[in-house]
Amino acid sequence: MLELTSLAVRNVFRNVRRSFITIFSIAVGTAALACFGAFISFTFEGLRETTIRSELGHLQIYAEGYLDRRLWDPGSAMITDPDAVEASVRGHPGVVGVSRRVGLMGLGGKEGGAVVMQITGVDVAREAHFADAEIITRGRGLRASDHAAGVVGEELARGLALSVGEWVTVLTSTHEGMISAFEFEVVGVTRSGSRDLDSVLVKVPLSLAQQALATRSVDRVIVMLERTAALATTRPGIEASLSDLPGMRFETRSWDELADFYGAVVALYTGFFRTFAIMIGCVVLVSVANTMTMAVMERTGEIAALRAMGAPRRLMVAMLMQEGLVIGFLGGAVGLALAWLIALGVASAGGIPMAPPPSMTRGYNAYLVLDSAIALQAMGIAIGAAFLSALYPAVAASRIRITEALQKS
Amino acid sequence: MTASPLIVSLQSVTYSYGRDQAAISVLTGADLEVREGEFVVVAGPSGSGKSTLLNLVGGLERPLAGRISVAETPIAEISERRLAEFRALTIGFVFQAYHLIPVLTAAENVAWPLYFRGVPRRERMARAREALAAVGLAKEMNRFPGRLSGGQRQRVAIARAFVGRPRLLIADEPTASLDRNTASEIIALLASLRREEGVAVICATHDPLVAGAADRLLELRDGRLRQIPRRSLQLEEP
Repeated sequence: MLELTSLAVRNVFRNVRRSFITIFSIAVGTAALACFGAFISFTFEGLRETTIRSELGHLQIYAEGYLDRRLWDPGSAMITDPDAVEASVRGHPGVVGVSRRVGLMGLGGKEGGAVVMQITGVDVAREAHFADAEIITRGRGLRASDHAAGVVGEELARGLALSVGEWVTVLTSTHEGMISAFEFEVVGVTRSGSRDLDSVLVKVPLSLAQQALATRSVDRVIVMLERTAALATTRPGIEASLSDLPGMRFETRSWDELADFYGAVVALYTGFFRTFAIMIGCVVLVSVANTMTMAVMERTGEIAALRAMGAPRRLMVAMLMQEGLVIGFLGGAVGLALAWLIALGVASAGGIPMAPPPSMTRGYNAYLVLDSAIALQAMGIAIGAAFLSALYPAVAASRIRITEALQKS
Repeated sequence: MTASPLIVSLQSVTYSYGRDQAAISVLTGADLEVREGEFVVVAGPSGSGKSTLLNLVGGLERPLAGRISVAETPIAEISERRLAEFRALTIGFVFQAYHLIPVLTAAENVAWPLYFRGVPRRERMARAREALAAVGLAKEMNRFPGRLSGGQRQRVAIARAFVGRPRLLIADEPTASLDRNTASEIIALLASLRREEGVAVICATHDPLVAGAADRLLELRDGRLRQIPRRSLQLEEP
């Protein structure tokens, strides 16, 4: 087999110019695909980490039934002993932060204007891990000593013309259904990156939110891991620990189960990537099929002579298929090297300036994250398409009429 | 004296190109017997069917009627796969256009047919070197065909044909592309192989030099083979 491969390599370079053009066209396609994949990978990674570190954490723990009842009867499914939950989670390897939150909806404003607000009561002392992707654009973040203070989203501040130091009044209801109101001072304005979120976002100290809801419970405990990739292995252990807690039952949601926007972006970009991959695959298919067909036509006599000397058909197919594989491999390898150089160039140039994505408020600088999964996919498409496109010429060559083909030198 | 074993036997072999009324008859009940170690030359005018006859004997075509037996094997009746194996083991081919693989050295070209038989590489190369030495190309083993003369290429092709120790060697116009001196050398080489290896040689040719070295001369005319004395054969100089 090794000798067939050696022969295939030598045959590929019989017509250097033709092989070079074919390999180059595969390389350009592979590089384009790998760069696109690397760009998508960067986008996914950025969006994922922003979502996790500014909003959701890696894992959210709820009392059983909360997600079903959260709109009409949230008070019936609260975590009443968050200390016990946090203690059972904290010891797991890879867990770097645990915090608790309580959410409420309210109608808030100043003077005559009021808007719907999505208010989150946070444990300020432990919020650092869960808000490191958040940007304070004016004022300051919450402090552990704050009580009647709040940070509002940039769009909300703009809509209500709120300034740092102004007071906002919020009307809401307790879990028992009683009308409740509270006030907080705007100490800072924040930007999460999502325009939709920033137009309703309010963060207040947990104690203030609990006071407004007339509860000492929380609706969720959130967990931050050191690495996002560790979630799949850490989650079962955490769930097992939670099930051991007496008198309480819980359900968990990972960040990706909650991040609908992230899921929609991944689905959209993955669709683009697949379409592009099919197009690149077609280019490779046509290039290699053309090259292999020409190679077979030029070597008809030689192939017939081998068949006459006793070469079985399957051996001829294997020989020619290997030529296709060699072309695909070389094209793919050169393409990946090219993509790697482009990624280095983009990194040294400080990234590619990008316009704000849909519903986002700011543009960003994109980099190309060329990881092994993308490299393998791009290489796989180059080799797979080359293999497929060599199939027909190889089978056709194995079926040539020996006596007719021998007449061709 | 005991006759050598029969290596090729054709009985009433019929072959034509095309079908029905458009069919062109090439062989019409041809008979032939060739014994081990014999050097048989098939002559005849262009288009008389010499190459077709060789293709039938070599198992590259199947007859429309009649029986063909090579080394006691009815080659017209076995499967394509078995026929390929049979050719690899029993028959060596020398083509007018050499059909060497240009990206392989002379030794690698000669060793290649042994690959089809599963011979290990070390042994293949050793036997290829022996075969090349036997055809006088010991010093050209590592040269590529593009760096060899026409005569040297044909010697490589002959070495490739007999490296597997076939019982039958089929040569179609082996000297047609060569000058007279080189052609003489090639004929001498084929004759010595026949003597030393005991291989039967069937050769289609127009070349009187080749005809002069044959044990038997056959003429193919009007679809039939007939043996003729050397002096009555009218051959064209290539």
